Amino acid sequence: MSQHVTHDKKFRRNFVRKGSLFVIVAAVTLEATSIIQFYFSRSGMTEEAGLRAESQLEATENRIMDVINQAETAIRNSVWIAQWSLDYPDSLMSVCRRIVEDNSVIMGSTVALVPGYLKKHPLFSPYVCEDADSLRFLSLATPEYDYPSHEWFKSALEAEHSDGTWSEPYIDEGGGEILMTTFSMPVKDYNGRIAAVITADISLDWLSELVGDIHLYPNAFSMVFSRSGQIMVSPINSSIEKMNIQDLEAIAYDSDTADIHRFSDAILSGATGNMVANVKGVRNMIYFDPVERTGWSLSIMIPEQEIFATLRRVEAIVKIFQILGLIMLILILRSFMRGQVKYKELNDKRERMEGELHIASQIQMTMIPKTFPPFPERHDLDIFAHLVPAKEVGGDLYDFLIRDEKLFFCIGDVSGKGVPAALVMSVTRSTFRSVSSHEDSPGKIVTVMNKALSDMNESSMFVTLFCGVLDLKNGHLRYSNAGHNPPYIFTDQIHPLPVDANLPLGIMTGVKFSEQEIPFHYDNAIFLYTDGITEAENAQHEQFGEERMIAVMDVRKGASEHVKALEDKVAEFVNGAPQSDDLTMLFIHFLGLGESAPLGNRLVMHNDINQIPRLEGWLEYLAGEFKFDEMLVPGLNLALEEAVSNVVMYAYPKGTYGYIDLSCSCEDGVLKFILSDSGTPFDPTKKPEVDISAGVEERSIGGLGIHLVRQIMSSVSYEYKDGYNILTMIKNI
Amino acid sequence: MEVFIEKENNQVTASLIGRLDTPASLEIAPQMDSLKEDAGGTIILDCSQLEYISSSGLRIFLALRKAAAEKGGKVIVRSISNEIRSVFMMTGFLNLFEIQ
Repeated sequence: MSQHVTHDKKFRRNFVRKGSLFVIVAAVTLEATSIIQFYFSRSGMTEEAGLRAESQLEATENRIMDVINQAETAIRNSVWIAQWSLDYPDSLMSVCRRIVEDNSVIMGSTVALVPGYLKKHPLFSPYVCEDADSLRFLSLATPEYDYPSHEWFKSALEAEHSDGTWSEPYIDEGGGEILMTTFSMPVKDYNGRIAAVITADISLDWLSELVGDIHLYPNAFSMVFSRSGQIMVSPINSSIEKMNIQDLEAIAYDSDTADIHRFSDAILSGATGNMVANVKGVRNMIYFDPVERTGWSLSIMIPEQEIFATLRRVEAIVKIFQILGLIMLILILRSFMRGQVKYKELNDKRERMEGELHIASQIQMTMIPKTFPPFPERHDLDIFAHLVPAKEVGGDLYDFLIRDEKLFFCIGDVSGKGVPAALVMSVTRSTFRSVSSHEDSPGKIVTVMNKALSDMNESSMFVTLFCGVLDLKNGHLRYSNAGHNPPYIFTDQIHPLPVDANLPLGIMTGVKFSEQEIPFHYDNAIFLYTDGITEAENAQHEQFGEERMIAVMDVRKGASEHVKALEDKVAEFVNGAPQSDDLTMLFIHFLGLGESAPLGNRLVMHNDINQIPRLEGWLEYLAGEFKFDEMLVPGLNLALEEAVSNVVMYAYPKGTYGYIDLSCSCEDGVLKFILSDSGTPFDPTKKPEVDISAGVEERSIGGLGIHLVRQIMSSVSYEYKDGYNILTMIKNI
Repeated sequence: MEVFIEKENNQVTASLIGRLDTPASLEIAPQMDSLKEDAGGTIILDCSQLEYISSSGLRIFLALRKAAAEKGGKVIVRSISNEIRSVFMMTGFLNLFEIQ
């Protein structure tokens, strides 16, 4: 038992290990799948965000370019008139006025003459600008303003800016403190000398509106930088303006300075692209693109977590399902494991029980006679038996034993298979053994066995059984058949033994089982078998059948040859198909008592009138044996013939076998003949005497036989005992 | 067991050879029964070669004898051995038949 427990623990441990491994593999697979999915979704989303940002940047850029182009076109179109007006400086004011009036985007304009161009006025710069709904006309040629020192003026004079240039954004000090930028372009006189700079001021208010409208993601924001990195538009308008991108590092707390550095480098070099930057503790995707001509840079910064917000939500849901799935998997595995353990326990129990019972039935089997020849000292019997068990524990049995010169034998088949059948089989066998140890009559043996089996039989199993008792002294075979296949008898022919229809054993108690009998002679045999032979099936589900069995039996053989030949034939027929039932054979070949056997003091005949001539030879033998006068033989022959023929004619019903047993002993000059039969009880001594003095007409035809017996023998007596008619005839010699 | 039957005018001779035991009696019964037709005349049963007779044989003799009595004929048993004679004696047959 403790071994068994250890075994169970081992099994359980093994199972847990396997189960855990299974769960881990499942978890890893799930996680890997979700990581791969996450990765691809993420890169897809990044790409999507990038595309959105770029298209937004492009759209914004186009809007800016609209304004820029309007302003530039207005100035370019005004250059010729400015050139023309150089000789009439007073008209320059109207040129400026026209520019401002005709172009809504232009808030102010000036034509600033290069200092010294006019002899009269070293500085000359009429300026028109919008002020609320009206125009203001001013001159920039004041010592305070000193326009030549301004960047918009200076840069326009530079050779590379002959096509015009945009100034850095600045706050208009004169007007409404608004952020402005100025486009300035040189104006050449007819000699090709730069004579003046013509400008258009545009407000950048619309820019912050434009950029402020960009709301790709809730917390995404856009910034516009000037060529030098000055912040033109930012979400934190006031404080940051005039600030340079390079100063961002100082205010961006909790940010990765390296990231900000890279960003400012990218902006200052006018690059297009994107980058990841850690800003204020948040990872951001930054997209940037320069605006043509102006040297400005647009950028959109999107917190990464917003790009992936949906993904994270989906990921969280997936995670929940994964965890739920794993928990369920574990629960299922646990209950499965419990089931397995239970199943294994039950299975082990069943196997153990079956194994034990198998051993039990094997022990029973070893008790069944299996050594052949079973009675090597006997020359009057040749017995062979074989039981081929089916894979499952089955319920066939046979047994035989000799007691008081009688061979008790049986063959049986328990209904059903498996353990209960094996149990019933073993009970049947032991009952047979115990009952036949004191009971001679097969009918009684079977009746007692039936009672024993019916009493213990709660599973309503039954046993078909043939029980025979062969008297080896006289060859008298008595038998009782309880629903078993009739055995085959080998005499001059082979024929099935006539059997009464009795119930199988174990069906109900109190049933009487009929007994039958036949005489057995020298060389007669009986073959008993179970339906495992006739019902042996091949792969085509054909049965071996009785015809095939009889064909094998047709040639007379010894017991073992007979059984083996039949077994081989069945095996050949079945051809490897699994054996579903036990296959049992018992062959008993009787070699005693024949005519060719030495005569003894006993003569056994059966109810055939043609047996009568045997009497003469027997009596001659007895005369020699007991040394009496041969002259007595004819008389004794006559008396015995009369007694025997009486039995032959009347004791047994017509067509049935019956035996007649004659024995002789001799003591003190007295010969004693005992004639016995198991026929209808009949006392011949009760027959009335024949009147031997009667005349011809009165003489009766019958009654002469017993009369002769009486006349010849010294005394005749009859008794009926144990089912036998016993006629004792004494002859004094 | 063998039986030879010779018919001559009003006389039939049946010669019985061998042992007339029970099986033999059954064997010859039809032949012997046919002799009843001649029961009006003389039936001679020649037993010179009859070795043995049992009650069934005696019954055949008796049946013939009864037929003869009916038809007014007679049955003569000829040349019986001592053994058969003793059987006849024991059964009272010596009185029923004319023994020669």
